[in-house]
Amino acid sequence: MPLREPARTVKSVWIIAIVAAVLQVALSPQISIAGGTVNFMMVLAFTLALSSEAGSAAIIGFACGLFYDMTSAAPVGLMALILCFASFVIASSARGALGGLTRDSVRLVVIAMFAANLFYGFCLFLLGVQTNLLWALLGHGLSSTVLNSLVSLAFLAILGGASTQRGFTARTKSSRYKIPR
Amino acid sequence: MIVLCVLSVLLLTFYIREGDTGPIHAVRSGVVTVTSPLKMAGSVIASPFNALGNIFSNLTASQETLSDLRDQNAELTAKVAELSEAQETATRLEALVGLQSTYNLQSTAARIIGGSSDAWTQTVTIDKGSADGFTVGMPVCNAYGVIGQITECALNVSTVLLINDETSGVAAMIQSSRAQGMLRGQPDGSLRLEYVPAEAEVKVGDIVITSGIGGVFPKGLPLGTVTSVEKSDNDVYYTISVRTQSSTENNEEVLVITSLNADQVATDEDVAQANDAATAAASDGDSGESDNAAGDSDGSGQDSTADENDSGTDDSEA
Repeated sequence: MPLREPARTVKSVWIIAIVAAVLQVALSPQISIAGGTVNFMMVLAFTLALSSEAGSAAIIGFACGLFYDMTSAAPVGLMALILCFASFVIASSARGALGGLTRDSVRLVVIAMFAANLFYGFCLFLLGVQTNLLWALLGHGLSSTVLNSLVSLAFLAILGGASTQRGFTARTKSSRYKIPR
Repeated sequence: MIVLCVLSVLLLTFYIREGDTGPIHAVRSGVVTVTSPLKMAGSVIASPFNALGNIFSNLTASQETLSDLRDQNAELTAKVAELSEAQETATRLEALVGLQSTYNLQSTAARIIGGSSDAWTQTVTIDKGSADGFTVGMPVCNAYGVIGQITECALNVSTVLLINDETSGVAAMIQSSRAQGMLRGQPDGSLRLEYVPAEAEVKVGDIVITSGIGGVFPKGLPLGTVTSVEKSDNDVYYTISVRTQSSTENNEEVLVITSLNADQVATDEDVAQANDAATAAASDGDSGESDNAAGDSDGSGQDSTADENDSGTDDSEA
């Protein structure tokens, strides 16, 4: 039976989602390093999927992808499809037990971003938006993955912090063992 | 999940098939309009940090690139001095106005507020849209010449596909020899002038200008400078690399050309001569290659073009 982490509130998720959307619209077009740009919606979808149910993750991924498609010059529906599927896979793999800035979370998110960016570049190549497959995959795709991974560290830390504030933690000062006086 | 995936595929299918005026494009225009204030705010916030990107680029540039840049700097410095004397303009905005008057352009000024939000396309967003009379297909230029073409137009912002995007194509010609071809963006962001017949006269340093064929871009606007010319023994066409006059993404003010005068469009004679040259070149060699140019964004449908005796009245360089 999959573990579920109940701590993260809907309010904190909405705040993070709004911040990510604002960053996607305002900041993403301004940052381009080595042919890559930051896809904040991909980062948001994947980091949320770590601690979500598979169905919810798919919906979040679809919404994030659709927002990305609507605010960029890319074909509408493609990123929605990729994020929907990838978020579902992440949530199924994590089974709700991951989240926060842990090695397993980072590894899963980075691998998913790499796969998603490669597949996105490949689809753009098939659609004729890109004419050079190698450049689409290893140029834009790889550099975007690196940038997304760096940003995802911050998101994982923030989401992890939001969840441990209200959930169980090993660092509590109290103890269930009674000290004899 | 399956339902959402099917919905995504349907959206993608409708987006591709509906053309530029379908409901999905309309929804996207609405979203872009609503989010444009955020994009403008981001542009304002990020502008002080643009210099950091230049520093980073300079640190990672090779010696060859730096050498080229020094040469280019010297060339541009001389050119700037020449232009300053000729037009008595000192600022970029004045240069824009100068370009407008030099080419008698029917144009509206706009400001770049952002680049592409995805890594796979070379676009910029400008701060005016359909409310200002802009429509899809209008050419956009800065003080140094053509930078691209509007591909999406919302109410108050427009998306401009830059000429160095790999899906861009502009009918162009060499200023000195009048040899015509197609200027195309490359995956790495560089420019290449294609379909220039091997018998044409082309050399490094030649200025590339728009040919006006297709009726989208005005005839004679500068596009860039030839940086390398290659041709093997059996080649029908040259392989010509072109460098733009300036980095488009670092410019803030642009002109959107709203309409063309009669003398800014290629004449029927130009088109006929270009077609004759294309036919001749295609019959010499690879005819399949020349067909690739038919889908150019300029809409000219011209393949390889060579026009040694162009009687046009191009005023190529501001």
